[in-house]
Parts: sequence; structure tokens; C-alpha cells
Amino acid sequence: MMQSLYDRLKDRFNLGEFTGRRADLAFVTVSREQLRPLLLHLRDLEGFTHLVLLTAVDWIEDDTFQLTYLLNDRARARDIGVRLMLPRDDTQMDSIHDLWPTAATYQRELREMFGIDFPDSPRVNEDFILEGWVDIPPYRREFDTLRFARETYPERPGRETHDPATYMKQQLYPDGEDNG
Amino acid sequence: MSVRDVLSPFAAWKHLFRDPVSIKDPFNREASERYRGFHQNDIEKCIGCGTCEAICQNGAIDMLPVSGVDGVQTRPGDSGLRPRIDYGRCCWCALCVDVCMTGSLSMSNAYKWVEADPDKFRYIPGVDKKHWDDYEHGYRRPEGHRLNAPERIEMPELEPGERIDSFAEIVGGYSVEQARLEADRCVTCGICVATCPTHMPIPEYISAVRDGDYEAGLKLLYDSNPFSQICGKICTRRCETTCAASHEGDPIAIRWLKRHITEQVPFERYRAIIGEPAAATGHSVAIVGAGPAGMTTAFDLARLGHKVHVYEAQSHAGGMTRYGIPEYRLPFDTIQREIDLIVSMGVEMHYNTRIGADISMAQLQQDHDAVVLSIGLWLGRSTRVPGSDHRNVYKAVDLLRRIRDGEQLQAPKSMVVIGGGNVAMDIARSMARLQQQQHGQIAITLTALEDKSHFLADPVEIKESIEEQVTILDSRGPQECMVDDQDNLLGLRTWRVHSIFDENGRFAPSYDDGDEMVHEGEWVVEAIGQMSDVAILGDELTEKLDWNRGRIQVDEDGRTSESWLWSAGDMVRGPDVVHAVADGHRTARSIHAHLSALDKQENA
Repeated sequence: MMQSLYDRLKDRFNLGEFTGRRADLAFVTVSREQLRPLLLHLRDLEGFTHLVLLTAVDWIEDDTFQLTYLLNDRARARDIGVRLMLPRDDTQMDSIHDLWPTAATYQRELREMFGIDFPDSPRVNEDFILEGWVDIPPYRREFDTLRFARETYPERPGRETHDPATYMKQQLYPDGEDNG
Repeated sequence: MSVRDVLSPFAAWKHLFRDPVSIKDPFNREASERYRGFHQNDIEKCIGCGTCEAICQNGAIDMLPVSGVDGVQTRPGDSGLRPRIDYGRCCWCALCVDVCMTGSLSMSNAYKWVEADPDKFRYIPGVDKKHWDDYEHGYRRPEGHRLNAPERIEMPELEPGERIDSFAEIVGGYSVEQARLEADRCVTCGICVATCPTHMPIPEYISAVRDGDYEAGLKLLYDSNPFSQICGKICTRRCETTCAASHEGDPIAIRWLKRHITEQVPFERYRAIIGEPAAATGHSVAIVGAGPAGMTTAFDLARLGHKVHVYEAQSHAGGMTRYGIPEYRLPFDTIQREIDLIVSMGVEMHYNTRIGADISMAQLQQDHDAVVLSIGLWLGRSTRVPGSDHRNVYKAVDLLRRIRDGEQLQAPKSMVVIGGGNVAMDIARSMARLQQQQHGQIAITLTALEDKSHFLADPVEIKESIEEQVTILDSRGPQECMVDDQDNLLGLRTWRVHSIFDENGRFAPSYDDGDEMVHEGEWVVEAIGQMSDVAILGDELTEKLDWNRGRIQVDEDGRTSESWLWSAGDMVRGPDVVHAVADGHRTARSIHAHLSALDKQENA
């Protein structure tokens, strides 16, 4: 079912690779120019009327953010994920809030958590859940969660820890060598 | 207004006596089965590797000593530390549970805890007892869900058919990609370091493999082990037995990663990476025996600027690694590179020089500030069963030495090996190769007192021996080397072993003489242990020295009862290369301290 849909749309929207997960779930990759025409086509002509979610993955090794637009076709009970690769150093993306108003909320979240901007999306620059956030967007993989936690939340007095190898040396062979 | 509007308030009254759909007591409701609540830790299973602490993104976990609590003790394979969790920081993500190397850490579904003192919300699960310790429900790492690859990257090796007719090295070595994948499995907890006799910085050099920084890795290796190329091939790798990854998967291939580092750095770079020796101190040390213990001592002392002379009875250095370990496990050039490196530190070698014959201990004492005796275990022990003095009954160590010395041995058509240790496997597999080359077929029977589950040999050796068509018979006790009227050796007669030790744990094998077998063999080879050739010391020194059950008595630094004489390696510690290396370091440190003290006395 999903394969035939892909075959029909492949050339028209210049689709990238097809990943079939299940009979009723597949993913395709699309370029930034073709995203909007593809989404419109899927919504208005193929029955994918519902935007389930819009999310991102940080492929820091490839210098890329992956956006995933997951659409649902209620009538035929099937989902399609539209993937779009965005260079990490140019993180502006076209808003689709005019296609699905709920997209504005996802885009606001992505702006906050990944630093991916969607100009013209309603309230996109307002705090979403991270009120008063001052660091880099926390879902970017270069964000050091542990460092942030240490710097932001002071230790209660009374903390101490031991490195296993060092502690074992102290206990078992303090002079540098055991005699075993 | 409709009638319905008038009646509807009364319609609600019909619900008056129904059970409410809301929960009666929301404060005592059990959470869902897989709820992530307060932690549980099976502290007997936990080894205190601290991987939970390392992965925690909130800095909520500390590792604290709990030695003495519920049998927890700092020992090889267990740091004696246990995680303490600060619930002021924990975000209940369960990464600590997912990464736990032993599967000891989990989360109960307890989520409610009222306390006035905030410091109470910091406790050591399993040690500080809580009522949820025994909760059945809560978050456990799901089956098959692993953050670490449990399986070792397989080492490329020659197949039995490819290797059986030559002494070509069996193990091929990892590629860079394979080594990185294997290094990636390591959580760098460092639990293994205490187990390594010479305490090599294992997590650090594995990190160097991961980072591809092989020169830094090589420096780490040679600062702790001048036999790193050799140990990278044939180390008994006790470290791997205590590896955190071994609890729920294969241990990290620590030995192969060490080997990989030594293979990635060009040999001509070694010397520059290891660095120059210190300026000459004017002290001179004699070392007797150029095996791993002696040469490690030589390496350390030479790097410290002392003049070292090594006296070796054989024509090459390396000791048992050169004359005892077959070439298919350890090629000559590996040993030679190791020795050349040590010699390049300014060590002076005196080959073919036998103590007692070519030079006396008294002479060495007179010419040097300190003397080290590290002559190993070169005399094979005999079973002393009837017939064991026949000319075709050999000691495994003697045969191995002759093979490695290049002698063209005429292999017998059939042969019996007595012994279940690595030396027994070494001679069986070496002779199998010679038989294959000379006769085109293999007929070797190996008999051991132990049952298969108690063999002393490395399981890999046993597996590969069987692959090479060695017939291994366990629980067989030698009774007689059978000889016919013409004085030809026929083979070995054995009885089934009942038990090896008596009730006091003493070696006293008992047999079932009703279960007798005769194993055909033109040769019988004894591989049941070795001893040291201490006769070279001469009567006078032998008399002076303190002895302990046939071994020279040494203190923990390897010093004998004679203040000028140290002893190191197999002859005092038993046979093992990496133990000998550790012993060499210890001895060198002790001698260096002694020489430094001499300097101070002179200056005072």
C-alpha cells in the first residue's frame, strides 16, 4: 500500500529513499523545496489529513538535523513520515502552521529544544516549557547535560565519591604493587 | 423551559448510591508495574563499577565504600563501592538501570516517601534498607535492551586445516575498525586494573584505541609493561576474568586491544615514544636469566640510569617466552623486537654464559652493586612411574626448547602427553604439527588427572588442541610407561581417577584400578610442572640462603636473605609471564631504593 503510494509520488516530488516499517507505516525523505507541495498533496489528495507530530533528531556526526512530519490517514488507518534533512549550521525552516494550526506548537517546541527557527510561526519565539532558559538548546547533542546540571543545581553538602580503580588501588595495593 | 430541564437535577440522584469511579484512597495506590520509582540494588550482584555514576546526567550518583556490609568486600572484581543516589537530583530517567553491567540495579515502583530531613533523600540502595527493597514491581531493564554490545568482536584466526601443518601464527590481529568496535564496548570502569599483576592502565589504553591515539597508548603500555607485544599475544589475561562486561556478556578482549596498539605503531617509533634512559648513576647490577622477570628488571633499572649486565645461558633472550611457548602462539620476531628495545636502553647482554660454569655467583657479587637471580623453571618434573626413566620418555619443557631452538625433531608416529596445563597443550599441539608435516597424520593422546571442568589449561588451548586432532582424556592417572622385552616403549598405562586430593586438601590421587587403559605411544611426554635449576648457585650460597619449600625465600620486594641478592620471576612466583613482569618491576624498585640509599650514605 505504502510502496505503491511512493512509486506514484517518487518522481513528481523527487523523493529520496523509502523506508517501509510496516504495511501501514513508511518514511520518505524530501527536499526543502518539495516539502510543502508534498504535504499539501498528501493532505488534500491522499487522505493524510492529520498531523500526528513534528519532531527532530540531531545527527551531529553528519552535521544534520532531521525533521520528521508524521501524517495520519484516518480513513485508511495508515501513517507516513516525511523526513527532511536540515544542515545544522542553517537551521531556518519554513513554517507549516497554515497547513495544520497545531504545527505552530511543535515548531515552538523545536525552536526551544533544538534551536530550529520557523519564522512567521505564531508565538514561535515565546518560551515553551523552558522558562528563562539561557543555555544552548538542550536537545542539541553538544549540550552537556551533566555539566549543566552541575553548574545549575548546587550540590547539597555531604557529597563524596570514589573512582573504582583508584579506590581498589588504595585498598588492595597501596604501594603500587600487590604481592599476589 | 422543557420538561427535561426541570427533571434533570433529580435524574442525577439516581447515582447517589453507586460506587464512585474515583479512587477511594489515592494516597496508597500502587504505581503501575513498570513505574520508575526509588532504586533497588542487589548488592551481592553489584560490583561497584560505577558505570551508573558515569552515565547519570544529573550527577545524582556517588560511589561509596560499604566494605564489611552484607559480605561486600573490596577484592578482585569488586571495588567494594556501591552507588548512593541523591533524589534531590535524580530525574528517574533509568539510564543507570539500562547501563548497569551486572543487572543488579533496578527501580521499584515505590514513589511515595515523606521525610522532614532533606538529607534522608540520599541513600545507598540495598545497603540502607528500605521497605521497597523487596518490591516485585518496578522498572527493570527490558529483555534484550542493552546500551552496550554484549558480544566480543571476533578475532580473525587461521582455521584448523590451515594451521595444522605449520608453526604459522594462528591469531591475525584486529583491524582498526574491529579494534574500535571492541574498545567501544568497554565502559572504562577500571575494575580490571587491580587484577592485572602489573596493574596496567587498561581503561586508559583502551580509550587510546577508541581515540585512535596509538602512540599515547603505546607509551601507557611500555610504562607499565616492557613485554607488551608479548603479553598482547600470550598473556594469561586474568584481567578479563574480572571485566565488568563479563557479567552479562563477553569480557572485553583486553589482550587483543593491547596487541592492536603494539601493531599499529611502527616499531621504529617505539624507542622515541618510550624515551631516553636517565643519566648514568655509576651503579652496576647483574641479572641472571634473560626471561620476562630479569629483562623487566633490566629495563626499569637501565631507564633509571643504572648499568645492567644480563647473563643468559641460552643463545637468545626471552626465557620461557622464547624457549617454552610455541611459535604459532608467539613468533620469534615479536620476542626479538621486545628484547632489542630493552637492550637499546643500554643493557649489556652476555649470552651463552652459564652461572657456575662460565661465571660464578661470587664473581657477580664482587663486580656489581646488586644481583638478581631470575632463572625460571627449566627442569621438568617427572611422574616417576615405573618406566618413566626410559629414553623415549621426555619432559615437555625440554622438547619445547629443542623445537624452538630450531632442532629438526623426528616426531614419533604416536605419542602420549601427561598433563592438563598449558605446557601440555603446547607440546601436544607442537608435536601434532610435526607429525602432520612428517607423517601426514596425527596420533597424540593427552591424559590428565583433572576432569575436563578442572583443567589448568586455558579453555581456548583445550578447544584448539581438540580442533588439531589431539585426543584429550580427562581423569586418567599414569601408572606405568610400558616397555617391551626389546626395551621399546609401548605407551602409557592409566587408571581412572577417583579423586586428586585427600580430605585435608593434600595431593594424594586415588584411582579406580578396575578402569585401566593403555594409550599407545612411541613416546611419552611428561608435562606435569617444572622446577628451578638452583644447583647452579653452588653449595656455599645455597647454604647461606633461606629457603621455603624448595624455593628461595624472598621478602615482598623480592630480596633474599642475602642483602646483595634479589630473586624474581617464575622461580619465586610460579610460572606466568605477566606475574614475572610485575615481579621485575617490584625488584627493580627495591634495588633502585637500595642503590639510592647507598648514594645517600656516601654523600653523608
